[in-house]
Amino acid sequence: MNRFALLSLYRSLTRHKLYAALNIGGLAVGIAVFLVLGLYVRFETSYETWLPHYDEVYLVQTDSRVPDQPFSGRHHWTMGGLLEQLREDFPGIVGTRIEPMGASIIQDGVAVNEDLKRADDTFFDVFDLPMAAGEGRRALADPGNVLISQSVAERFFGSSDTAIGQTMTATIDHETRSVRVAGVFVDLPPNSELEFTMLTRLPDDADSPWWSNWGSTSLQTFLRFSNREDARQFEAATNAFVNRRATDNYEAPASDQIGINLLPIADWHLTPEGREPDSRRQSVATLGIVGLLTLLIAIVNYVNLATSRAALRAREVAMRKVLGADRAALIRQFLTEAIATVAIAGLLALIIVELTLPFINAAGGLELSIAYLGGDGVVVPLILLSLVIGLIAGAYPAFLLSRYPAASVLASAKAPGGGRAGTRTRQALVAVQFALAIAFMIGTAVLFAQTQHLRDSDLGFDREGLLLVRSMYLLDDEAQRRAVQSRLEALPSVRFASMSDGVVGGGTSTNVDSFAEGGSPPISMRRIAIGPAFFETYGTRLLAGRYLDAQHGMDDATSLEWEEPQNVVINTLLMRSLGYSDPAEAIGKQIGRGAPPRTIVGVVNDMRFLSPREPVDPTYYTYYEEPKYGVMTLRFTGDPRVTTERAREAWTSVAGEIPFEAETGTESLQEFYEDDERATRLFAIGAGLAVLIGMVGLWGLASFNTARRVKEIGIRKSLGASATDIVKLLVGQFMRPVLIANIIAWPLAYWAMRTWLAGFDDRIELSPVHFIGASLIAIAIAVLTVLGQSLRASRTAPSWALRHD
Amino acid sequence: MIKLENIERRYISDEVETTALLDVNLAVASGEFLAIMGPSGCGKSTLLNTLGTIDRPTSGQYWFGDTDLAAMGEKDLAKFRAAELGFVFQSFNLIDELTIQENVALGLAYRKDVAGNKAERVAAAMDTVGIAHRARHFPHQLSGGQQQRAAIARAIVGQPKLILADEPTGNLDTANGEQVMNILTALNDDGATIVMVTHSPSHADMAKRRIDMLDGRIVASAMRAI
Repeated sequence: MNRFALLSLYRSLTRHKLYAALNIGGLAVGIAVFLVLGLYVRFETSYETWLPHYDEVYLVQTDSRVPDQPFSGRHHWTMGGLLEQLREDFPGIVGTRIEPMGASIIQDGVAVNEDLKRADDTFFDVFDLPMAAGEGRRALADPGNVLISQSVAERFFGSSDTAIGQTMTATIDHETRSVRVAGVFVDLPPNSELEFTMLTRLPDDADSPWWSNWGSTSLQTFLRFSNREDARQFEAATNAFVNRRATDNYEAPASDQIGINLLPIADWHLTPEGREPDSRRQSVATLGIVGLLTLLIAIVNYVNLATSRAALRAREVAMRKVLGADRAALIRQFLTEAIATVAIAGLLALIIVELTLPFINAAGGLELSIAYLGGDGVVVPLILLSLVIGLIAGAYPAFLLSRYPAASVLASAKAPGGGRAGTRTRQALVAVQFALAIAFMIGTAVLFAQTQHLRDSDLGFDREGLLLVRSMYLLDDEAQRRAVQSRLEALPSVRFASMSDGVVGGGTSTNVDSFAEGGSPPISMRRIAIGPAFFETYGTRLLAGRYLDAQHGMDDATSLEWEEPQNVVINTLLMRSLGYSDPAEAIGKQIGRGAPPRTIVGVVNDMRFLSPREPVDPTYYTYYEEPKYGVMTLRFTGDPRVTTERAREAWTSVAGEIPFEAETGTESLQEFYEDDERATRLFAIGAGLAVLIGMVGLWGLASFNTARRVKEIGIRKSLGASATDIVKLLVGQFMRPVLIANIIAWPLAYWAMRTWLAGFDDRIELSPVHFIGASLIAIAIAVLTVLGQSLRASRTAPSWALRHD
Repeated sequence: MIKLENIERRYISDEVETTALLDVNLAVASGEFLAIMGPSGCGKSTLLNTLGTIDRPTSGQYWFGDTDLAAMGEKDLAKFRAAELGFVFQSFNLIDELTIQENVALGLAYRKDVAGNKAERVAAAMDTVGIAHRARHFPHQLSGGQQQRAAIARAIVGQPKLILADEPTGNLDTANGEQVMNILTALNDDGATIVMVTHSPSHADMAKRRIDMLDGRIVASAMRAI
């Protein structure tokens, strides 16, 4: 490629500004979408890879192998004493436990919450956590020490170095004591599931009843193996280990019911737990595909515009041939042009990404950032991308353009456009482009309809007007707890208040009981312990029987032993599991044929406290006149901020030294929705831009096509065609690929959206409205896109058009 | 210098077969100025394109010196064109995005054998046709006559052995046409070999020899009386 070729490219771009804007702009937006979604995919798949030797570290999963139970599946948690048993049976095994604990740090009389985790002193044998000051391994040996993150060090002590040796007053596990800062670790990056700002030594709790209870999931156990083979061999030996060790809690062979598995920590973030659907991985894959497809649409655009514009360049190509350029030289020229154009688009894309990333982060609740150089830098990949896209996008025009026979091009006034085959290729490309755009539009419509449905759907209780005071568990002093409770109940906007261990958004504990009903397997049901006014607080509908209260002897479980008879209220799912179709029928019946006897005194509607993706569990409620544990739910009227503030004041007046934690019902549900809402927003942004690029491409194509047909239009008009006929002709030409696109898009979108919706227990039905609507919009967009030019072409004077070459 | 022997060119499409050249035998000596005349569709341009190697004969031999061009591959033909031929077209075929100077320089762009100062040669070629003062203009800023002179400059900048002109005055008014013909004549006087297709008998008369074509054949050949 000589300098004239580059010069001619530059001048061509500056002279045909609109074409350049369409071509480069479209490509730049396509690359930008690809880059942003690529950054997102890379972020989501990069969890824990920042940790040195991350590939040697595994999370131990507890695998509950009894099917169809609320706890079925693999969980990221293990019982507390697993590591000790592993050490006995696998001498030399390297592992550590991490237990989330939380701590409140008291500084100047004010309590601040920190993410404290407790770990074994072998933590640093497993995790090569980078330290900013102090020595981590030695620090953890002493239970009186803490390690803090750089940000915590800066917040409390000004810097990492000055923090070492300082003491902090911390309440950890209901005990307030002084701890000494013995090390400062580098802040954990956002792409980490470890999530702690403070680390202290895990005490030896071997005497506690839950510590070695197989099936309990109290903390996380990590193991480190120097190579994959060792890990594999360990895993192969785990069933025998479980059969030896889990005999107290499970019938032999225990490994039929429970097991342990290794999960590489790099897979931790995206691996669903238990019965959770694989939605996070699905979202990442979907958005990755959206990015790739948007890029594909942009490439298709480039090829389409370049080949249709080839007509205008045919003369130049022929002239270059005449002047002695061989085909290879021309192919080189066009490929270099394409690569140069893509490089410009790439640069522009970087600018777009840089400018829009803050908004995208805000819209998606993300922390994406773009690095230019280094291992994570985008410059090198972008250069490679420019080369690859340039070659892909430039290949077709290059080979097409260089093939034109010089003599016929120069002799004829008419420029070639790739012939019928070229037109067909372009139409096929437009069809592909629009198929993707329509599929994207259907996807966006369904995604929005589903997320809207989740926001509005009946959860079985009124989600508005609930305030959850979660910090009740921090109140150890009974008098203080009572005082806080009565203050909260007395707030003027509060209508009802109730303590329970199960609340919207998840409570303080999850209990599942299995009752043999004669048949097998036994029915598993969730047990929620509730205090007075629970159902009134949530606004549950009583379908039969009565609520629980202290007036009925066997209602209050406070002084009852587990084996003693007790009255319970059940939800309709449990009622159906028990084989009753009418709520009244269930009243007075017992759950379970053996002990412990539980008599059903009321049936209430199902309440969805957790993710819309997970099924609601069959549930029964037990009553405690004065529950000591759990979360306090307030049913209030008016502005949530006012009630929250009043509740905070009430709390502080009684327990100022203990941090107040509260959230509204909608806030606590937010965590279940935010992943999907974020994915929906990112999808919508990607899809919207993909449609926009498609429109730009169609517009460009239509304008070139119309320009090419000016003479034909003149002939048709001189033969008596009306302006309407001409518009119909030109618009109709683009309708065919757009209509064909629907045939491709519908099954594609149907399949994709059905798969996505299958991940929700609470979901909408796919409606033809989404499909027809998207197609109508696509057709409208296509018509509007080409209509303007067609109208202009239809008004051309035939005498001028006939002279036009 | 040039010898065409039994050249035949047929175009075969799905339905029809067209014979553009039939049994063409032609010799062009070095330093000659040959005009080709004939009615539209008689094969003039096909013959010129064949001479220019941008169209290949269906059969026959094309000798350029001792080389049979009809048997040469595309790549070598491209090299040959760059080194030995200069083209002038009725519709100028200048590249819109390049200035006149750059268009002229394009005549050397595909020459690997030209060493030394290309800019000087470009300037000289522009001088020869009297277009140097328009060097930095773009084609659309020039009149037709000026554009055609620029195209001639591009054709001669590589000092080709043969200049092929396809109706070089076809798009020009009389005055500009005369000017272009004078340039071509002068080039011929300086030793350039020129083959020109023209509809204009008066311009054909300015050539040293003239052949007439009809239905793909050469039907008459006449030397200009000096």
